[in-house]
Amino acid sequence: MGADTTTDTATDTSRSHVRAPFAPWDRRDLPGSFDVAETARRVGNYKWTEMKLFEALGGWVATVPELDIKMRLGTHCYRHAWHAELWHKRLPELREMKPERLTAPANDAMERFVAAMTEPEDSGLTIEKLVGVYRVLIPRFIAAYTYHMNNTSEITDAPTIRSLKFALQDEFDDWRDGELMLQSLIKTPDDVRRATEHQAALEDIMVEAGGITGPGSIGPVQ
Amino acid sequence: MTTHVTVMPEQFTLVAYDANRIAAIVRDLASLLGLSNPMAVEVDERTPLSKMSAVVAGTSSDHTITLRLQSGALEDTKHLTNFSEAHARRSLGQVMLRAKDRLRPDFADAPDDLALTNAQNTAWDVYCGGRLDRLGLDPIQQGYRYDFRNRFGFSDEVDCVFDQLWSADDLGWHDLPTVP
Amino acid sequence: MRQFFPVEDLARDDRFVQTNMAERMSDTRSAVDLQRTAKSRGASNRLTPDRHDASDAARSLMHGIMVGEIQALEGAGRTAHDFDAGDGSEGTIPFELKLDMARQAWDEARHVEISVKLSDWMGTEIGQFQENTVLFEAACSNDPVLRLAGVNRALEGLAIDVFTQMKEFGQLADDPFLEFCEDWMLADEVTHVKMGSDWLRRVTENDPDRRAKALDFQRVVDKLFSFGGARGESEESPIGLARRFRELAGFTDDEVDTIAGMDHDALEERKEVVRLARETADV
Ligand SMILES: [Fe+2]
Ligand SMILES: [Fe+2]
Repeated sequence: MGADTTTDTATDTSRSHVRAPFAPWDRRDLPGSFDVAETARRVGNYKWTEMKLFEALGGWVATVPELDIKMRLGTHCYRHAWHAELWHKRLPELREMKPERLTAPANDAMERFVAAMTEPEDSGLTIEKLVGVYRVLIPRFIAAYTYHMNNTSEITDAPTIRSLKFALQDEFDDWRDGELMLQSLIKTPDDVRRATEHQAALEDIMVEAGGITGPGSIGPVQ
Repeated sequence: MTTHVTVMPEQFTLVAYDANRIAAIVRDLASLLGLSNPMAVEVDERTPLSKMSAVVAGTSSDHTITLRLQSGALEDTKHLTNFSEAHARRSLGQVMLRAKDRLRPDFADAPDDLALTNAQNTAWDVYCGGRLDRLGLDPIQQGYRYDFRNRFGFSDEVDCVFDQLWSADDLGWHDLPTVP
Repeated sequence: MRQFFPVEDLARDDRFVQTNMAERMSDTRSAVDLQRTAKSRGASNRLTPDRHDASDAARSLMHGIMVGEIQALEGAGRTAHDFDAGDGSEGTIPFELKLDMARQAWDEARHVEISVKLSDWMGTEIGQFQENTVLFEAACSNDPVLRLAGVNRALEGLAIDVFTQMKEFGQLADDPFLEFCEDWMLADEVTHVKMGSDWLRRVTENDPDRRAKALDFQRVVDKLFSFGGARGESEESPIGLARRFRELAGFTDDEVDTIAGMDHDALEERKEVVRLARETADV
C-alpha cells in the first residue's frame, strides 16, 4: 500500500477516445489510517459527543437570559443533532447493526468532561456555558474531524469524509458565533478570570480524555 | 393659575388607579400645553381597551373639556391593571392636544372624536405624536408610523407624508391628510 | 443542569416581566359585550385592520407571539435535553424524536428572530407587554407523551390559529412583511403539529391507556389556550379557529369541533366571571 495509484492511468492519453478512470485532476488515493472497525469506533464516539452537545445546548436555552444567545443555542442545537444523525446513519454502513452499542464516550474522562461542561445552570453563568462548548469542546471537534478527514482513505471512506466536511463547516461557523458571543460577554478582569479558570478546569479533563475519540484523536499516540 | 380637574370615578375597583394621581398629571400637562380650561376626566375601568376622546363644550378658556379614556390607555402594560405614569402622560397628552386643537377656529369642521374615520383618527394621532415627542413625552414613533401605514398604505410616498405630519406644529383640520 | 426545568426559573433579561394564567384571569375587565349571547349578532371583535385599535391590538398580539415563540424554543430544547434516547418506555424517547425536537428548537429560534423583527417593524419594544408563561407551564410535563400532546398539538395548534389570524391581518392591511412572515411560520407550525401527532401515535402504539391520558391532557391544555374565549369561532373572539390549516396539520373534523366547543364554553364561562365581578364591584 502507499503506491501512487493515479499516475499510470491519469497520464495515459495516447488513445484519446479512452478516458482514464481517474482524471488528471483527481489525486485521491487508496491508503487510509483507519480500518472499518476503527472508523466505526470513532464514529460512535462522535455520535455520543454530538448528542451530549445538542442535549446541553437544548437544555441551556431556557437558562440563559441573553435573548440573542438563547436563539443561537437553539439554532446550534439542531446542527449538532444533525451531525449525530449523520453518524447514527453511518454506523450500520460500518457493520455496526446496533448503533447504540458504539454510541459511547471514548473513555471515563470524556464522560466526566461532559458532566463538568453541562454542570453550569444558573442564569448568571452564560460565560461558563459558552466557554465549555465554544472554547473547549468545539475546537476538539474541529481537531478530531480534521485529523480524521485528512487521514482516512479518500476512496474507501468517502461517505465519512462527506459527512465530516458538512459537520466541519458547521463546527467552524458555530465556533465563530460562540467566540463572538464570548468576546461580547467578557468585559471585566473578573469575567476574564471566570472564563479562563473554567476553561482550564475543563481542559484538564479533556487532556486526560485525550480528545473526542480518546488518545489518538489527532494522531498516533507517541 | 391651577387648572380645575375632576376625575371619575373617584375610587377605582377593577384597576389599581388613583384619581388624585391622574388629576395631578392632567394639571401638569395643562400647564405644559398652556390649557387653562376646567378638565373633567372620565375613565371607563370596565374595559381593558384604550380608546380615548375629548369633548370641548365651547372654544373659550372657561369651557369645560371632557376627556374620556378606557382604562387601557393609562395602564402599565408590563403589570396589567396597574397604573403607568409614563403611559398616562402620553395618552392624556395626546387627548389634551386634540382638545387644544379643537379650541382653534380652523378645527371647527372636525367631527366628534367618536365619529372620526379610522384614517382621520390616525392622521390626527400622528400630528399629536410628533408634538408629544417634542414635549419630551417619548412616544414610540415607529408605532405611529405603523398605524399610519395601516390606514394610508405601505409606500415611500405615505412615509413622506408621515414625516411631514410628525414634524408639523401649526396645522388646521383641513391640513391633515385624507385617504386618497 | 437539572433534568427538568421549572417555569419560574425561565431566564429573561430585565426588560421582561412575567405573569401566569391565574393572574391574567383575575383581571375582570373585559372587552366583550356581556349582553350578547353566542347566537346574537353585533360588532365583531375579530382582529382585522378595520378595528379602530387594530395596530395596538396587533402589536400586543405580536408581542404575545414573540414570547410564545421563546417559550416554544425553550420547550423544544428541554425535550431534546430532558429525556434519554431509548425505546420510549420509562422516561426515554426515541432517538429520532430527540432529533425532531432539536429541529423544532431551530425552527422556534427562527420564529423568535422573525417575531422580534416584526415587532420592531410594528413599533413594539421588547418586553413592552407582560409575558404569560402559561405556554411553557402547560407544555412542559415530566411525561414526554404529555409534552407531545401539550406542546405539539395544543400549543402548536394555537400557533396555527394565531398565525392564520395575523396572516389575514397582513393581507387585508397590505403589509408587505406581515403576511409573508406569518405564512412561513405557519408552514413550520403545521409541520410541528404533524410531527407531534405522528410521534404520539407511534410512542403510544401499544399503550391505549397512555394515549387516552395524553389526549385528555391535550383537551385540558386546549381549553386553557382558549384564553377565556379569546380564540374561538365566535365573532366575539379576536382570534379565529383555523380549520383549514388545522386539517392540513392532521387534526380530524371531530377534534376541531371539540376544540371549537371548548372555546365556546370558555368564552361563556369568562363572561360569567366578568359579570359576577362587575356585580360585586358594582360598576
Ligand atoms: Fe413557532
Ligand atoms: Fe412550533
